[in-house]
Amino acid sequence: MLSDLLDESLVRLGVEASDWEDAIRKATAPLVANGKVTEGYVDDIISGVRELGPYIVITEHVALPHARPESGALESAVGIVTLKTPVAFGSADNDPVKYLFPLSAKDSDSHLGALQSLVELLSDPAFFTRLDTCENAQEVVGIVHAKERGM
Amino acid sequence: MDRKYHALVCCRAGMGSSMMLKIKCDQVIKEDSLPIETEHGNLDSIIGFRGDFIITMVDLTEELSQDPRVPSAVGIKNLVDKNEIREKLHAWLDEHKGEEPRR
Repeated sequence: MLSDLLDESLVRLGVEASDWEDAIRKATAPLVANGKVTEGYVDDIISGVRELGPYIVITEHVALPHARPESGALESAVGIVTLKTPVAFGSADNDPVKYLFPLSAKDSDSHLGALQSLVELLSDPAFFTRLDTCENAQEVVGIVHAKERGM
Repeated sequence: MDRKYHALVCCRAGMGSSMMLKIKCDQVIKEDSLPIETEHGNLDSIIGFRGDFIITMVDLTEELSQDPRVPSAVGIKNLVDKNEIREKLHAWLDEHKGEEPRR
């Protein structure tokens, strides 16, 4: 379940970021602080984008910062971060990015259910409308729980 | 046709976006009964891949299309857009009509 990987400590709303790299660092900081990933994992996300382009921007205004598990995924987790001002990632189709869902998973097979819920969440425009009205982390976790119960 | 084409859905990490893209592709393949089977992996999975094509996020296709081991690559711009995935999978099948799957 996605709810198992998400908790309030991994949610940040209205974050100010100066550019895409700053956005990734700020979005993943709670995962580092909570022992979900290492600093090296964050560095690998950034070097991946530098080498290969903004492939982590997977749909309009949404980035899924993640890296190779062996670069430092310690525990599986998903964060939800919104930016105060959207930033460009260099994605021709999906810029600018406003929502980041930093992801740590050791392998995808053991979290198939969570990834399934996440992809359904990201496919639902109503979820983003709700997310925009959230005032705190508790509300964000609440809408994810409610959505997952309804699936 | 009983035999199916094999597609590798991949991203750099081999989990996360590739798995989510595979979930979306499999939904379309099931809904349209397309003769395609998918597996997922990271960019290293291309070594030794014996399937027919690769599905990935569009930003990776440029890198991949230079790789001689990649028979052909389908790039998706919007991971959650089933219409885009549907159009591109149908287009790939049309383009390869009459060709035997490689395995």
